Amino acid sequence: MRAVALRAIDSATRDLITDAKTVYSTPETGFNENKTAAYVQQRLQSLGFVVETGIARTGMKAVLRGANPGPTVAVIAELDALRVPTHPGADTETGAAHACGHHAQIGSMLGVATALSAAELQNALSGNVVFIVTPAEEFIDIQDRLALRASGKLEFLSGKQEMIRLGTFDDVDMAMMVHTSTGNGSSTLSIGGGSNAHVSHQVRYIGRSAHAGGAPDYGINALQAAMLANTAINTQRETFREADVIRVHGIISNGGASVNAIPGEVIYDGRVRAKSIEALEPIAEKVIRCYRAGALAVGASVEVQSIAGYHGLVQDPTMQKLFIENAKLVLGRDSISVVGASQTHGGSTDMGDLSKIMPVIHPYANSASGVGHGHDYLIEDYEIAVVAPAKVMTATVLDLLGNDAQVARELLAKSNPAMTAEQYISVQRSRFKTELFEPS
Amino acid sequence: MAKRANLKSSLSSSINNRADELERIARDILDHPESGYREARTSKLVADWFSSNGMEVQTAIALTGVIGTFDTGKPGPHVAVMGELDSLIVPGHAHADSVTSAAHACGHHAQIGSMLTVAAGIAESSVLNGLSGKISFMAVPAEEYIELEYRESLRGNGEIEFFGGKQEFIKLGFLNDVDIAMLTHTGGETPGTFGVGGSNNGMIGKTIQYTGKAAHAGGSPHLGINSLNAAHLGLAAIHAQRETFRDSDTVRVHPIITKGGAAVNSVPADVRIETYVRASNVPAILTTSEKVDRAIRAGALATGASVKITTNPGYLPSKYDGRLTEIYRHNAGSLIGDDNIIELSHSSGCTDMGDVSQIMPTIQPTANATSGNGHGIDYLVENYDLAVIKAGKAMGMTVVDLLADDGAKGRKVAGAFNAPMTISEYLSRMRGFRSETTYTE
Repeated sequence: MRAVALRAIDSATRDLITDAKTVYSTPETGFNENKTAAYVQQRLQSLGFVVETGIARTGMKAVLRGANPGPTVAVIAELDALRVPTHPGADTETGAAHACGHHAQIGSMLGVATALSAAELQNALSGNVVFIVTPAEEFIDIQDRLALRASGKLEFLSGKQEMIRLGTFDDVDMAMMVHTSTGNGSSTLSIGGGSNAHVSHQVRYIGRSAHAGGAPDYGINALQAAMLANTAINTQRETFREADVIRVHGIISNGGASVNAIPGEVIYDGRVRAKSIEALEPIAEKVIRCYRAGALAVGASVEVQSIAGYHGLVQDPTMQKLFIENAKLVLGRDSISVVGASQTHGGSTDMGDLSKIMPVIHPYANSASGVGHGHDYLIEDYEIAVVAPAKVMTATVLDLLGNDAQVARELLAKSNPAMTAEQYISVQRSRFKTELFEPS
Repeated sequence: MAKRANLKSSLSSSINNRADELERIARDILDHPESGYREARTSKLVADWFSSNGMEVQTAIALTGVIGTFDTGKPGPHVAVMGELDSLIVPGHAHADSVTSAAHACGHHAQIGSMLTVAAGIAESSVLNGLSGKISFMAVPAEEYIELEYRESLRGNGEIEFFGGKQEFIKLGFLNDVDIAMLTHTGGETPGTFGVGGSNNGMIGKTIQYTGKAAHAGGSPHLGINSLNAAHLGLAAIHAQRETFRDSDTVRVHPIITKGGAAVNSVPADVRIETYVRASNVPAILTTSEKVDRAIRAGALATGASVKITTNPGYLPSKYDGRLTEIYRHNAGSLIGDDNIIELSHSSGCTDMGDVSQIMPTIQPTANATSGNGHGIDYLVENYDLAVIKAGKAMGMTVVDLLADDGAKGRKVAGAFNAPMTISEYLSRMRGFRSETTYTE
């Protein structure tokens, strides 16, 4: 079976790489991936799938039914690009660019879909394989997404979060996807470890504008408040434990209206990350205390809107082991390196959210050069970025759902997700809050 | 008129006869500097001099203060001529005490010299007999508002209430029956001139204590609460508000950290700051004080520390009396030429003569006789003749004008003065500045 599937991927190599490059050439940011979605929809349809579209605006779902009943495995790909205007592949109008390699995910997912859609393979499966194409993994354009939220078009600000809320994953038992990476150069793939949880803060300082030359004594400088807060946050860094993998970073998205007026309103976009929600919350409290201190110091008010971000990624050890075995089998003994489970990637992904409610894996294909999210992040080896992950995921799915899905059933019996989808949704809802602190 | 001219002439020649002695006393004090409320030697020197010159002497007023009085026995105004006993603390000053680093880097030694010079002139019986009323020579402690912890401890022991010597004199009632006050300070403007008029900032003082939580700075900084970071933020927050200070208010806020942590490998849990808040007027002092408190609290809030802010009354802004200034100007001009009398501008420094100026007609002219920077290691009196002898003559001649002719001019100056506040209003206002609040946000 495996050999049949791998041959199908080999014959489709050129198409799959073309898919990835086509998506690369039309970068679109989260919840705006209309062209990309249309392309992927057409490709899935050409493979014979019925595609459910428009989930969480641009997301899609296609189900491949095995011949016999059994668990459902999701293979996921992310639609969205970042915004890196100086990237060589950037859209000249929007600045959107695939500086995180999501376009390669589309190729590798279509590779799995191509291989498994052969009737011979479907007959061997007990259970379903669903292909879920998710919008908006990059947690950016917060203002725009808050506007969508305000108008009822979204509730959560990322694709997988929103799809969990909408029930897209309700019939899914486990999920996998492969992300690109620059890796360490020694292996084709890597797997293991977690990623950070995060929360976003929209911090609005409300001061009082006044002529900066003529009457600064009448003003309350919102920019001074924001800068003091930033300095205050920096003094807190010595209290951050390395083991918690804390990251605090922000940008001033509105730093004043004109240089000759005391800034009366300043917006600070903040983000706090840590390895888990439990580690994150006390740090977020410290950071909010610092926002308040900036306001208190100058007599301004500050409104802090907390926006539920991602949860820390926990990869299922059984599924991870299965993926490693298949990588070795398909790509060679040294094709995969393993990161310890205790290691946490400083970045965040909404696969972390999914990992709270079901077993998942999120391996990497070490195929890129440059710096992730940088202007120089480019896929150098599309065989590694697209074809290798397609093969290993396909082989892993066959292991999971072949042989009456014994492996998948055992995996599910051992797994112990942290929460149900309902619990997850209620946790996320509770993480949204807006607090106004006024001078006392 | 002729009579006053004769009195001034006798005063001058009497002073001339003792000029060497008077300059020598000033230089002796220069070489034995003592900081505020510690001026034991200087105090004794002045008290002995008063006694040996026939004055009625009161000592140990506000710990080290001394008053010597000539009472003419005739009714008339009571004029106080003042000199400040205390030095600064300036390590590295050429005349610094080798143990305490106390140093006369503000020229107060010359004030004692000029005050005694007036006394030497008035002591001449032909002068004293021509005057009415009383003349008191007040050697006051502690004009420099320093060593706040020491003064806080004196306050705790009930030995003083206020940190400034003249404030204590006022509180103790020694200015109750005084109508007019004067003091000559040294200055560094055009050499050889006297400065008149001008004004000074007022101020309040603050002691600030951040309380955090100590922890191993390497091993477990996450368990600590860093008071030094709180203080750092508090100070940065003060600076961020400087743009809101109005030029016309001449605001000054200049903190120092008196305790910055106990050991470098321990997260600082106890950090202390002292600061002044100065401005040209009381409303600006109070507004700025609120901004400073807010900023200091922000440092605590940001780090999770608590902070105790203790505010103490400082000095009031000075406003020198116009009529008295004109009398002085005339006499000073007669000594060194009218062209050598210059108008002082507003000074952003403070003095407790400001407090005196709020309750009676007061002047504080300057004798521009120094080199170097005020309060600096290089501040030296270069011209003792001007700073001690001529300064004393100018004040002495002014006393003659005020108290001759039955004290007519003195009565006029005192009567025309529209006091911003009475002594009891003064005391309640100063006590109102005092506060102690602990913020745990």
